Amino acid sequence: MAHKKPGYHGVLLDINLTTGKSSPKKISSQDIGMFIGGRGLGMKILWDRLKKPGIDPLSPENPLMFMPGPFSGFPIPSSSRTCVVTKSPCTSSLHSSYPFASTVSYSNVGGFFGPEIRFAGYDGIVITGRASAPVYIVIDNDRVEIREAKKFWGMGTDEFDKKFIEELGDRRFRTCYIGPAGENQVSYACIIHTAARAAGRGTGCVMGSKNLKAIAVRGSMIPDVADHKQFLAALEEASQAFKGISGTLLTKIWRRSGTAVSIERSSKKGSMAVKNYREGTFSEIDKIGADAARKFWIRDFACFCCPLSCKKSGVIKNGAYAGLIHDGPEYETGTMFGANLMVSDLEGLMKAVFNGDDYGLDIISTGNVIGFLMEAYEKGIIDKEFLDGIELKWGNIDAILKMIDKIAKREGVGDLASKGVKALSKRIGKDSEKFAIHVKGLELAAWNVHVEPPKGICYATSNRGACHQSGNTVEAQNFRAMIDSIGICRFTTDWGHWYLPGLGSDNFSRILTAITGIEWTKEELMKSGERIFNLEKMINYREGFRRVDDNLPDRFFEEPLSVGSEKGAVLHREKFSEMLDEYYKIRGWDPETTKPGKSRLERLGLSFTLQDHQI
Amino acid sequence: MGNMNNYKSENPDSQMKYNRRDFIKKMAIGGSTVILFGCRSLAQPSGGKAKKTLTYSMILADYSKCTGCRTCETVCSAYNHKQMVNGEVLPGLGNPHYSNIKIYSYNPDVDIPVACAMCPDNPCIEACPVASDPKTGRKALYRDEKTLAIKNDLNRCTGCGNCVEACRDQRAGVIIPNPETNKPERMCTLCNGDPQCVKYCPYGALSFVTVSPGREFQGVPADMIAKELTKRWYSIQN
Repeated sequence: MAHKKPGYHGVLLDINLTTGKSSPKKISSQDIGMFIGGRGLGMKILWDRLKKPGIDPLSPENPLMFMPGPFSGFPIPSSSRTCVVTKSPCTSSLHSSYPFASTVSYSNVGGFFGPEIRFAGYDGIVITGRASAPVYIVIDNDRVEIREAKKFWGMGTDEFDKKFIEELGDRRFRTCYIGPAGENQVSYACIIHTAARAAGRGTGCVMGSKNLKAIAVRGSMIPDVADHKQFLAALEEASQAFKGISGTLLTKIWRRSGTAVSIERSSKKGSMAVKNYREGTFSEIDKIGADAARKFWIRDFACFCCPLSCKKSGVIKNGAYAGLIHDGPEYETGTMFGANLMVSDLEGLMKAVFNGDDYGLDIISTGNVIGFLMEAYEKGIIDKEFLDGIELKWGNIDAILKMIDKIAKREGVGDLASKGVKALSKRIGKDSEKFAIHVKGLELAAWNVHVEPPKGICYATSNRGACHQSGNTVEAQNFRAMIDSIGICRFTTDWGHWYLPGLGSDNFSRILTAITGIEWTKEELMKSGERIFNLEKMINYREGFRRVDDNLPDRFFEEPLSVGSEKGAVLHREKFSEMLDEYYKIRGWDPETTKPGKSRLERLGLSFTLQDHQI
Repeated sequence: MGNMNNYKSENPDSQMKYNRRDFIKKMAIGGSTVILFGCRSLAQPSGGKAKKTLTYSMILADYSKCTGCRTCETVCSAYNHKQMVNGEVLPGLGNPHYSNIKIYSYNPDVDIPVACAMCPDNPCIEACPVASDPKTGRKALYRDEKTLAIKNDLNRCTGCGNCVEACRDQRAGVIIPNPETNKPERMCTLCNGDPQCVKYCPYGALSFVTVSPGREFQGVPADMIAKELTKRWYSIQN
């Protein structure tokens, strides 16, 4: 047991769906010390497993990983997150010589799945191969079974969530699964957990390519900690973060509205995705915001050990969709199917969100794709025939629902649309790339950039394409890469520059040190974040991603906002380019090629990446 | 304590009917003739003597406030499943597996905390075949005289599993057998009068209170409570 570090099981569960074999694999202590867990450890495994660039993300070789962190499974407030790490099926590079060049993908999901993986005795699950027919995996501590899933194939996530737990016979199993969109390999399909939480941005497409419908986990273990007493003391200290005047107040805001609190705020600030990102403010925002949605909301629900309960579950009481039960809208779902498509019918919006989740679609990308098609249709670049007869006009919920069906089933126009806006604009041509709102092939999320140039840096330089979670500065990016590796939610991490209730850097260092026995300081944690971000970059660089790929759609430079308090706001290309120069300088990357510099890589302990002859 | 009105039915008669019907069904399975609902007192466990009404305190859940976060499971486990660390007994790390209280989550979202209901008629003790001790009147499974919590005397328990079956068939199935000894576990200890689940619940969904008579859902399996609450909360008929 020499390999076993406190705070970790030291074991990955390795499942090969081609052979149907599974086995526990040791994790090296060095990798744990350098990459922590979660996103970071997942990236190290991705580097180790993808021995060469250009591997097809939908091939059996691409590993699909479910990675909790060292906090997962312990009763630390909000330590609920799991990072799904894989090679992205959504992204592509402008000039790479590899036909299947794509970026890394990391997708963070809350709930109960990550902690349960740790209870089952693993620090992560790595799935490779492809089953010959649909299967699901049951992990019950050290018992791993692969079972036939034919009867579930084609089932929506809401119904499947209920049927699957019945089949398993114990409600204490934690499950995640794909819907028809993942089965049909829509490139931006999600993995869904508890019918309400999603690991988005294409992870479901990779899962579908493996013929894997679902995973169920149940366990009875927990790792040891290095210093039991210190751990208990640090835990007690951490709980104070949610008390006192500000802790209580901020906690209340989260509980009251969840992320939906930002819907109206963002529109007011001009920072919202409206009308395919043409605008930042939606005149009918009051009809789809948190206060409007409150009439549906029945109850709040929370992730593992989280005091914030940002999720709202409700039922539509009247109208065409009366009786529809679902959670939301949240900021992203409410904006992408709401303001971005000029939808002010809240009941209709909720139906679209339900259908999107039920199919297992990433609602960010789906809303972006439909917005793009609406604009192209309005401009006469495409006609009704191209849209299979759908009258895809702004705000038309029926048309939106039809398009969601088409995309999930990949029927007619939906087949092309299932590949995202980059593929669509390439096919349509006629300057449509100017309003195809993606970076590296991944669609932007619900935060617009006209009024916030640093957000443009976030989207342009994120390692998985246009990710809104990546961070607006080098420091924020490093910080978030670290947070995603620990297994805690970013909504409860207050490091001084956040307006959030929750754990500060001292809490982090103390808890992580007590758990692992490794002397973690704030500086070492931030350095780990930088290391992880750079390793991701090295994978992307090896695939052929260069500065030209770190770009934003023309819209943000050419079309100023025409309404709202920030009317006239637009990005300046030269200034943006200067910001990028500055960004690469701080990163220690070559401003021409974006290649991380040798000395920086050495300082971060990433020299091994330079030994790869393919770089 | 939580606002009990939050989960009171708008039509109490129909609720009571629902529960009674289901209960009678369960009773039939369990083969017991005990009439449960409307039971307003706790009969003193020692057999034979005149029944005496007792008030007692236990953990009650306000289902409308529970968010399913499972903090209660972790603190219950930490307190009741202590660990020996370097010769010192310390609270455990909070592995929910060892928790006496369990959260069951449903879709549509309903979260049901389930702890020992300390049933007034204690079918678990009734089922215990170990003869009553002439001095204490206790079987192997017995009620603590002070807290009235259900306890098991490990020295006298034979691990027959009758109590487990009784709880499963007649009530919420809280008691489960130890995988090695088959002796009953998961009865609520009330944490020596300071229940940790109540203390640490971030949402104030749990309370340690003197129980009101005839309360709803006592000892009812989570599935049945969830079914009923789903109907009440998410139905648009009413």
